[in-house]
Amino acid sequence: MAQTSARKQGVGSVIWEYLTTVDHKKIAILYLIAGGFFFVLGGIEAMLIRIQLAVPNNDFLSAGLFNEMITMHGTTMIFLAAMPLLFAFMNATVPLQIGARDLAFPFLNSLGVWLFIFGGIFLNLSWFMGGAPDAGWTSYASLSIASPGHGIDFYALGLQISGAGTLITGINFATTIITMRAPGMTYMRMPLMTWTTLVASVLIVFAFPPLTIGIFLLIFDRMFGSNFFIVEAGGNTIIWEHLFWIFGHPEVYILILPAFGIFSEIFATFARKRLFGYSAMVFATVLIGFFGFMVWAHHMFTVGLGPTANAIFAVATMAIAVPTGIKIFNWIATIWGGSIEFTTPMLYALAFIPSFTMGGVTGIMQAAAPADYQYHDSYFIVAHFHYVIVGGVVFALLAGLHYYWPIMFNTMLNETLGKITFWFFFIGFHMTFLIQHFLGLWGMPRRVFTYLDGQGYNAANMISTIGAFLMAIAVIVLVVNIIITLVKNERVGMDPWGDGRTLEWSIPLPVPYYNFAQIPLVRGLDAYWVEKKEGNGKMMPSESLGDFHMPNNSILPVVMSLGLFIAAFGAMYFPDGKEWAIDAVSGLDTKPWALPVLMIGLAITFVSMGIRSWKDDLGYYVTKEEVERDLEELERGGK
Amino acid sequence: MAELNQEPMTKAQLEYLRRQRTREMRQQLVSFGLMIFLTFIAFGLAGMEIIPAQFTIPIVLGFAFIQVILQFYYFMHMKDNGHQFAKLFMLTGFYFALAFCVTFVYIVWIGAPVN
Repeated sequence: MAQTSARKQGVGSVIWEYLTTVDHKKIAILYLIAGGFFFVLGGIEAMLIRIQLAVPNNDFLSAGLFNEMITMHGTTMIFLAAMPLLFAFMNATVPLQIGARDLAFPFLNSLGVWLFIFGGIFLNLSWFMGGAPDAGWTSYASLSIASPGHGIDFYALGLQISGAGTLITGINFATTIITMRAPGMTYMRMPLMTWTTLVASVLIVFAFPPLTIGIFLLIFDRMFGSNFFIVEAGGNTIIWEHLFWIFGHPEVYILILPAFGIFSEIFATFARKRLFGYSAMVFATVLIGFFGFMVWAHHMFTVGLGPTANAIFAVATMAIAVPTGIKIFNWIATIWGGSIEFTTPMLYALAFIPSFTMGGVTGIMQAAAPADYQYHDSYFIVAHFHYVIVGGVVFALLAGLHYYWPIMFNTMLNETLGKITFWFFFIGFHMTFLIQHFLGLWGMPRRVFTYLDGQGYNAANMISTIGAFLMAIAVIVLVVNIIITLVKNERVGMDPWGDGRTLEWSIPLPVPYYNFAQIPLVRGLDAYWVEKKEGNGKMMPSESLGDFHMPNNSILPVVMSLGLFIAAFGAMYFPDGKEWAIDAVSGLDTKPWALPVLMIGLAITFVSMGIRSWKDDLGYYVTKEEVERDLEELERGGK
Repeated sequence: MAELNQEPMTKAQLEYLRRQRTREMRQQLVSFGLMIFLTFIAFGLAGMEIIPAQFTIPIVLGFAFIQVILQFYYFMHMKDNGHQFAKLFMLTGFYFALAFCVTFVYIVWIGAPVN
């Protein structure tokens, strides 16, 4: 069963290998490809938004299409681009960092990625099947119940499917990090990337169930005749807002914590210094994760919760600035006096500190509830969350792409092109969003498809649009860089940056499919650095060479996800033309085939779950002889 | 399809395991008996009305709490080693759930009909 990755394979067998793989390294590549695709898609949507807003009274996009565009831009970027791209880096690095041969549940890892891919495809099919969702990425219930056609159904069902995948992956990472660390890898020796992944996974475990419940209630309201959010029938739309933000606020920490993790690794590596205040960093990470659940109502200050509730949530929100500030100071102290190397990842990391801090400071401004009444629903908010998400998460994704590229693809991205990308992106980003703070303070509301001439918004909007084009150029340069690198395919050896500190850099490239011939013994924080400085530069094994167990590939995750994908179409068309249906769809033609499609889809999923449950799949053993052969080959290649 | 490699247990290991399981079984039975007993008392207090209701309610709630602890620790193995993370997760989960319930009752007006 075991394949060696060195063997030449046909295109068909490569595709089959990726459809069935349970290997975390290949799943990382799947996440990277799918997340990268959706990132470009969301970027194109952003460009169309900025073109529409470039000049006053523009009619490049119609008002309805503009609403669909902003909704899909937000939804795509958060759920289908940022989170999967972070999962790509988590998959690529975390098992290697803790000295594990795979995740705790490799099958579920594969299920997670395929649920995300099918959910994402379903959501984006809305463009071709009668219109995309148009109630904003928050999809507040009164608006989303009233939205005619099937747009919101695509949102609800697509996010439900991909959300299930995310929840599964979160459980998987938490279990892996808790139970599968190598000997010597205590909690306080885990690299920051692993720590932030652990906390983000725990946040996923607690934050996604409220979203699942909220979306199920929305699905029932829109497709099966219930009245949870329908006010005329006794429902309450505020419940959606609470459920959404109980999920939504932890979600931003799910995004930013792994970004912090990536940057912490980069700072330590390219300043050639141990991360300053490691234990304070860990403490701050956990504290941010905990506080993240206690602040959701700060998105709802203007709903009318009353002064007491607003005051409580305002104070709790401001408290988050403390651990975040601890982190910022620790990063600065890490580079302070370090022997800094200005590689592309390090440039992103250095740019991240001021950019993210600016976003954080405007966040504190909004935490003051009375002031928030002024900022609410203005471009100030748009500027704020783009500063934290682009200045924090997207910078981390781009930095991580350059930094971890050798581990994922055994080559190095071109540094010159990488720096060109950085400068275009950095200047474009600040040009686009800095001015939007002022637009907001001057009174421009968010989510409007155009504005009148003579209100003083013209120049600022034009500047913002030009900035967006600079970011687009940056992404194009990055794509060119990736293509050139893949075509050239110049292989690099172990520890290509030369200053790797953590376990993932101690592995030969390409990484063997079983990761570690022998599970290493960890002797301190920055395990590989410890061996470089105090040992012979090689990890000490913690076990003798022997057979070890690996999981089999399986096509079932794809089949399970496909079943849900089919079922979603059945659920979506089920209420069409029915008497009890909401106004949005009751006028459409009835679709008698909807119920059978729903049942067939669910049957496919449940049958494949049954097969997984009752048919034993015990995996296989990698033999000692094979590992020895690989080690010998490595020895020869090295000389 | 490979079989899982499993070492056969030694006699001492088997003996140890058997002793462990006997003790486990005894603990389970004792806690089970205790829980049945508490349930009987609760039913008895509520049914026979020998003491006023304002005393019965806290007593029954107290018994319920003891039963929850017994359930978690003895039936669901929370007393065993290596469950620290599970405990932490459950306590955090309780805390968040409680916070959400309090909010929903006090600021989403679900509580309004209750008053």
